[in-house]
Amino acid sequence: MKEKLFMGIDIGSSSSKAVVIDEAGKLLGSTVVNMGTGTGGPKSVIDQLMEQLKITVQDITRSVVTGYGRMTYEGADTQITEISCHAMGVFKSLSDVQTIIDIGGQDAKVIRLDRNGKVVDFGMNEKCAAGTGRFLEVMARVVGCDIGDLSELAKRSQSPARISSVCTVFAESEVISQLSSNTKIEDVAKGVHMSVATRVVGMCNRVGVAEKVAMTGGVALNDDFVNTLSEELSVDIMVPNSPQTMGALGAAHYARNMAEKG
Amino acid sequence: MIAVLDELVKKGKNPKATVLEAMKDSGRKAVGCFPIYVPEEIIYAAGLLPVGVWGGKTDIKLADKYLQSFCCSIMRANMEFGMKGTYDMLSAVVITAYCDTLRAVMVNWPYAVPNVKVVPFVYPQNRQGDSAFRYTLEIFDKFQSEMESISGKKVTAERLEEAFDLYEQWRALSQEFTTLAATHPVTINAKVRHYALRASYYMDKKTYTEKLMEVNQALKSMPDEQVKFKVVVTGLLAEPEGFLDLFVANNISFVADDLAQESRQFRTPTRPEGTVYEKMAWRIMDLRGDTFFYEENKSRGRMLIDMVKESSADAVVVCLYKFCDPEEFDYPVYKKELEAAGIPILYLEIEQQMDSMEQLRTRIQTFTEIL
Repeated sequence: MKEKLFMGIDIGSSSSKAVVIDEAGKLLGSTVVNMGTGTGGPKSVIDQLMEQLKITVQDITRSVVTGYGRMTYEGADTQITEISCHAMGVFKSLSDVQTIIDIGGQDAKVIRLDRNGKVVDFGMNEKCAAGTGRFLEVMARVVGCDIGDLSELAKRSQSPARISSVCTVFAESEVISQLSSNTKIEDVAKGVHMSVATRVVGMCNRVGVAEKVAMTGGVALNDDFVNTLSEELSVDIMVPNSPQTMGALGAAHYARNMAEKG
Repeated sequence: MIAVLDELVKKGKNPKATVLEAMKDSGRKAVGCFPIYVPEEIIYAAGLLPVGVWGGKTDIKLADKYLQSFCCSIMRANMEFGMKGTYDMLSAVVITAYCDTLRAVMVNWPYAVPNVKVVPFVYPQNRQGDSAFRYTLEIFDKFQSEMESISGKKVTAERLEEAFDLYEQWRALSQEFTTLAATHPVTINAKVRHYALRASYYMDKKTYTEKLMEVNQALKSMPDEQVKFKVVVTGLLAEPEGFLDLFVANNISFVADDLAQESRQFRTPTRPEGTVYEKMAWRIMDLRGDTFFYEENKSRGRMLIDMVKESSADAVVVCLYKFCDPEEFDYPVYKKELEAAGIPILYLEIEQQMDSMEQLRTRIQTFTEIL
């Protein structure tokens, strides 16, 4: 009998992710493409995953799409919000997590789960980019480094700069001002991390933090930021093996559950 | 859709055309009423047409001269519409003084919109004791003189009584409509409910009341309907339209509301005894659970809990207008009470000039996934 396969697709603002699992919930493959909604990212991420697994989309039994671009993507059977999908993905990957901090390109979210992995409360950033991956992207550009190098740069900081503006535009001016005053790039990088962490802590306090805490989304790949946030919150933060694909993994599990229920 | 309901929805969506039509049909001069509780009965008794002035969707270009970006979007829109001439057909605007922004609008209006007269109207904040009641009667008298000077007509006892009776009928029918809306959430979805109620601000109350009576009659003859989720909605108002679309798309019906623009206008009964002005003053004295009036023991939380129970709602949705200080002060108090009662709350920060609904879409959809 042909194996049943379930696909989750997470179309974010700056990247697209796809995951395929089997009937037992075992992860078979995942891909990430750094192009989000409104680009060729969704098609590309699925093409790559199909090639990786040597299958075609016709082999997929059921699929669920999530993320910012979920409403406009027509290739999936169902759409579910990224909050529910991240919760499901983390619940299936790490045990006993009760708080998820998800920081993606455009949104930051704090999700509270009960012991069964059900979402009980959540908070999201306001519509500005402060406290999101976009803020880090803008700041990385200003300090003249790649977003992926921001973590290593910040780790070298001896005296973090203070970035007080919460608005991305004003903070950009502030960083430029710091650099022109000969503040070291690594200190500015660390200051940027602390600034974002402060915003996220504010959101965490509104929703409430219960241990264990996990972080997902692209920003979780920045280990200096994770450490900075951990210090600000005074809790340990776990990061799953593939923090960017937790939403897609959760979506795949939802697809599997729906198929089971018929 | 019921034809007369469709007509009300269209009128609710098109304020200016509706007001101009009502002015033409009734032969009355129009007076704009800022939020909230302007004593419209007196305006109507003076032979004028009371018109709601609740902002709306517009690009804010001129209002920045008087109101900063951290002022509430309703008042910024009102100022913008005033400055660009949208309200030129009004003979006056009545501006209340519940918050700092309203007070700023009141004092800046004569400079910003010199061709539309401003009539300040200030209720007592602390309503304990007889002085608040007597003060309210005095401001009704003073307000009557202002309206008489605008219309050139005397407010006779007979006209006042007629206007009072008309408004009592409107209140009763509006309450009946919201009750029927709860049992007919497919026909009266969140958007239809909003626009049908909003039409009352732009039409002659007599015409509106007649049409609302027809709507209610039609609804009573229809079988009950069901949608998946039922909520009580609280806040100033539930706009813009794209915001209401999200509730419709997620199968959420408004089974009761505590909105300043909607039920707060018609839910408080008056006392049977006294003159018309005494009855109107008692209504103000008896208002409870309202952000804009001081209450030593805030009763809004308990009121919302009762509304949830009575309407068998699944949750409370908070429509918090960005930068509305009075509403923001209330929120932590009733949030705590609702949480203690085990009632789920969805907090949504909104403003009239919102273009992107994606974050709100995610919040609302997630909430349904949790429920």
